[in-house]
Amino acid sequence: MEHTWFVSALWMGLALLSALLSMRLAISVALVEIIVGAIGGNWLGLAPTPWTNYLAGVGAILLTFLAGAEVDPEVIRRNFWSSIGIGIAGFVVPFFGVLWYAYYIAGWSWPQAQIAGLALSTTSVAVVYAVMTENGMNNTELGKIILAACFINDLGTVLVLGVLFANYNLWLVLFAGVTILAMWLLPKFVPFFFRKVGSRVSEPEIKFIFLVLFLLGGLSDMAKSEAVLPAYLIGMVLAPFFLGNKVLAQRMRVMAFTLLTPFYFLKAGALVKVDIVISAAGLIGIMLLIKIVTKFIGIWPLTKYFRFEKREGVYTTLLMCTGLTFGTICALFGVSNGIINSDQYTMLVAAVIASAVVPTLIAQRWFQPHIDINGGNDNV
Amino acid sequence: MYKKILHGMDGSDGSFKALSEAIALAKLYSAELHTVFVEEVPQYAGTIGEVIEEKASANGHYGKMMVKAQAMAEAEGIRLQSRAIVGHEVKTIVELVKRKSFDLLVIGFMGRSALYDRVMGSTCSSLVRLVPCSVLVVK
Repeated sequence: MEHTWFVSALWMGLALLSALLSMRLAISVALVEIIVGAIGGNWLGLAPTPWTNYLAGVGAILLTFLAGAEVDPEVIRRNFWSSIGIGIAGFVVPFFGVLWYAYYIAGWSWPQAQIAGLALSTTSVAVVYAVMTENGMNNTELGKIILAACFINDLGTVLVLGVLFANYNLWLVLFAGVTILAMWLLPKFVPFFFRKVGSRVSEPEIKFIFLVLFLLGGLSDMAKSEAVLPAYLIGMVLAPFFLGNKVLAQRMRVMAFTLLTPFYFLKAGALVKVDIVISAAGLIGIMLLIKIVTKFIGIWPLTKYFRFEKREGVYTTLLMCTGLTFGTICALFGVSNGIINSDQYTMLVAAVIASAVVPTLIAQRWFQPHIDINGGNDNV
Repeated sequence: MYKKILHGMDGSDGSFKALSEAIALAKLYSAELHTVFVEEVPQYAGTIGEVIEEKASANGHYGKMMVKAQAMAEAEGIRLQSRAIVGHEVKTIVELVKRKSFDLLVIGFMGRSALYDRVMGSTCSSLVRLVPCSVLVVK
């Protein structure tokens, strides 16, 4: 590796610049890193290397684990049918809608169309959560139903990503078996083990989590599946423990956001070709439109069925049109495994980023449910 | 002349200077004095944790600022009603002024470069333009 430290300095410099811009603009550091990564990749010679790919890969695994660990099972249990119904519809209809368009109209191959369907079927739980924190809806029943539905939606995406491109052989059986066993054992073992080892500067707790994620990631590799699948599932089963142990979750986030996820998001941006974004702007717009239309076809009738007010129904559907982290994970999986080419990757990531912004702005501007400022987010 | 005064707090020296003026005006006109701190959470977040941590950090910041602000008001015998609201600075303050019918907004001037104001827009000038009451910008 030539000039390793200069290359490290370039990546970390861009990560620092992203953090400063994100503070100033009050926009998520993840989104800023993707945009700065695109600038770096197109004009500053920022190119992924084997070691940055490794750090980005660990970043994706940790990011997915943390997303899973944020799922509050109590919220899903309390709003089971509405969240399951909206979550499944929010995944299935856009997946097939985008797949249909990419395969039959845009002329992508079947596996490429599947990646497009997956990347644009996601919902960004974090984007939704930020919007609802701002308007105080995160404390309302409707807000909790929307969040729970987003979790189910993403679970659908991760599960299908994990099995769609896998090799159906003994490795897959072994991978599935060990993952299910780990999901059953870990909620019992982790509280006991963490109590035993305690919180120390050598961080045995975090090392144990990494050990589990890397082992399952290795098995997923052997089965040609995706390491983010077990990471999300293990995060979900450990969520009750992590929700009660906020310090540990915070330590993991600090590690992730300092040294791992910047490599992931900068890489996701660096692979975007700006000239393709410009020349394929129409196609990107159509993909975004199909995502929004299919989300409406899937989710909006269900909001009627579950007796949401008209405005709340449109607001919920628009928020579930958002996407960011899981969308880029799917697109990056596609390009890293040679399923889609870099032009298709660029189009998908651009559509994913647009889906984080456009539906959010429309929802906030025209369909925000009325909440009393004193009853909602005042006096936090 | 003024019955309900709202002060915008961001923790800067300028906003504390503005608070001194607001306290003096509240005393002069026997007006109600409120202060608001707007917490901006990151838009388009990558993880829920990012939002939670930014909000927790802002809450901590708010707590420290309010101890100082309350002490300043108490020293002048004024009751200061404080609130923190999550949202965009300008939009949140404009909505609050409208909903609670404040008749004066007092804010500190934040001296940034002309280029910054041109590119990013100035919070001060946006507030002066959008709130439906008088605005005092303290320099």
